[in-house]
Amino acid sequence: MSFNRRDFIKTLASTSVVFPMVVRASPSAGKARVVVVGGGFGGATAAKYLKIADPGLDVTLVERNKQFVSCPLSNEVISGHGKYEGLLAGYEGLVKRGVRVIFDDALAVDPAGKAVKLKGGTTLGYDFLVLSPGIDFNFAAIEGYSEALANTTHPHAYKAGAQTLALKKQVESMKDGDVFLLSVPPGPFRCPPGPYERASQIASYFKHHGKSKCKILIADANDSFSKKGLFEQAWKMHYPGMIEWVAGASGGKVVKFDAKSNTASSDFNDFKGAVVNIIPPHHAGLIAMNTGLTNDKGWCTVDMLTMESTKQKDIFVVGDSTIHGDLPVYGAPKSAHMANTQAKVAVANILAKINGQPAPEPFFVNTCYSIAEKDWGFSVVHIYRAKDGKLVYDTKAGGISPVNLPDEAALKLQRKLESEYCIGWFKNIMADAFA
Amino acid sequence: MKRFNTILATVAALGLSAASAMAGPTEDLARSCNACHGLNGVSVGPSMPSIAGLPEKYLKNVLLQWKSGERYSATMGRHFTGYTDEELSKLATYFSKLPYVAVVQPADDKVIARGKEATERCETCHGATGGAPDDDETPKINGQWAQYLEMELMKYRTDSVKMPHKKMRGNAKKLADEDVAAVAKFYAAQPK
Ligand SMILES: Cc1cc2nc3c(=O)[nH]c(=O)nc-3n(C[C@H](O)[C@H](O)[C@H](O)COP(=O)(O)OP(=O)(O)OC[C@H]3O[C@@H](n4cnc5c(N)ncnc54)[C@H](O)[C@@H]3O)c2cc1C
Repeated sequence: MSFNRRDFIKTLASTSVVFPMVVRASPSAGKARVVVVGGGFGGATAAKYLKIADPGLDVTLVERNKQFVSCPLSNEVISGHGKYEGLLAGYEGLVKRGVRVIFDDALAVDPAGKAVKLKGGTTLGYDFLVLSPGIDFNFAAIEGYSEALANTTHPHAYKAGAQTLALKKQVESMKDGDVFLLSVPPGPFRCPPGPYERASQIASYFKHHGKSKCKILIADANDSFSKKGLFEQAWKMHYPGMIEWVAGASGGKVVKFDAKSNTASSDFNDFKGAVVNIIPPHHAGLIAMNTGLTNDKGWCTVDMLTMESTKQKDIFVVGDSTIHGDLPVYGAPKSAHMANTQAKVAVANILAKINGQPAPEPFFVNTCYSIAEKDWGFSVVHIYRAKDGKLVYDTKAGGISPVNLPDEAALKLQRKLESEYCIGWFKNIMADAFA
Repeated sequence: MKRFNTILATVAALGLSAASAMAGPTEDLARSCNACHGLNGVSVGPSMPSIAGLPEKYLKNVLLQWKSGERYSATMGRHFTGYTDEELSKLATYFSKLPYVAVVQPADDKVIARGKEATERCETCHGATGGAPDDDETPKINGQWAQYLEMELMKYRTDSVKMPHKKMRGNAKKLADEDVAAVAKFYAAQPK
């Protein structure tokens, strides 16, 4: 028998039993309170879909920035193919849907007392908490690199914002023949194809701005990368000889940086560049770490089918902070698209819990587009299914865009279509989160 | 960690409101489509089609054709191989029941006039303005995104990719290069 809480309350009302109920000081007494921390792709989507699923829910979103700056398409801003303004979103759309948006820093969570403490002094009680704080960086992993350098002379630009524009400026100041050095951290990092798309975009900038003698050196901590065949094909076709990739096994893993001489070093090599772009290793957003939700590698473990933390009840973690799925290294890619579907699954599960219903079947899907050059886009698709209580990556579905097609016309068509779908995807996923 | 002085120490499970009706698997699956095709299947990205309110038969056909590879797709085939025919069929039904929202895109009068002239061969199946197709196997295309329509025509005009509809392929190929965009803009500008 399914007996939901509304029925229960009705039953209560019709009997004369007196229950020692805790008095709620909240004006919305009687409604389930859901607090969402982090208004990026995961958190904004969760807040919105909670309200769509049940407008009666009391939903509060805590986000430290008044304006969201999207990472997707930020590489295209660095190259000049896209506009910075296009990356921005506000929170008015969510406010209109009835989400209470608080611009503040969430400092800590008390899972036992079910409350979130904000920097401004407020404490928010919750029945369910959704955490989507994205990633934070482990600057200490690269000796000589620091947050202070990132904010001044050496932007990583791996959280979009002022650093995106700073890196763009540096690229534009490069002279023909200069080297752009890009250091890629060990996986998992957000957006597995992101660094290689960045290299492609910067190559495109060089090519179209009379700097064809510039070189891009990718010093990689890893031995392979996402959509490798597709990127290498694109590089050969559009930027022959311009991009060099040094695998981790060949000494590509940067562990040290000297800002004065612009030299990044692995245990075997010294790499120099006119511009050095170091992407530091990542871990889950600090608030998730401080709440004790992370494993020894710094990522939040979750119930694969519901997104509920394995460490704390009634806390759902979505987005880049999680380790989720059964693929090697990544589990599931840390992408805006994945964060979006994880948020929807978390919402469905919160609703099921409120209604006293069993966990619904989850659907996780990911599409990551990359644009390597104008009219030259490609993608990777991931489909995960629940099988026998486990989350399984469907190897028969998904995968990358075909590298080879029957002829040149088909190849050009495929790449053109996906470069345009990338933009359409972006508009829709931004709206799906913020509008 | 410090213990907070919270207003509410105990979660009174009794106090939670019951949520509205649960969505169910088809709706949950459909929600994952929104990321690319817009909330309730109404796209706000010009390269992505709106899919709400398209004829059920048409949607079923293309979903299954993409899955089998009978119809070329740049991306969708890789998604649909991950779902059963039954799931796809239910998805098609679900989206066909949502309201069709024409996103009317104004364009230059001359372009629209040129597009209209070039749609002579389209009319028999799609109707004069794209909003009243002949049968359930033909999509509505009025107020569909112009960029998407133009890209679909590009598919039909590329011989080396598989497209199943002989008549559509023939007619798409008969269009003059310069007319393709105009045709797309003509339909995109039609409210009905
Ligand atoms: C260069 C680049 C390109 C990318 N391209 C793509 C792409 O094409 N497609 C794709 O799918 N993905 C892409 N990604 C990945 C995508 O950006 C992330 O996967 C996505 O943002 C994850 O969403 P999230 O909600 O986990 O984190 P975020 O979107 O980063 O959101 C986290 C939010 O939480 C807030 N926050 C954190 N801690 C607190 C706190 N304590 N208090 C208050 N607020 C807090 C932050 O301010 C932020 O707004 C790209 C990433 C990069 C770097």
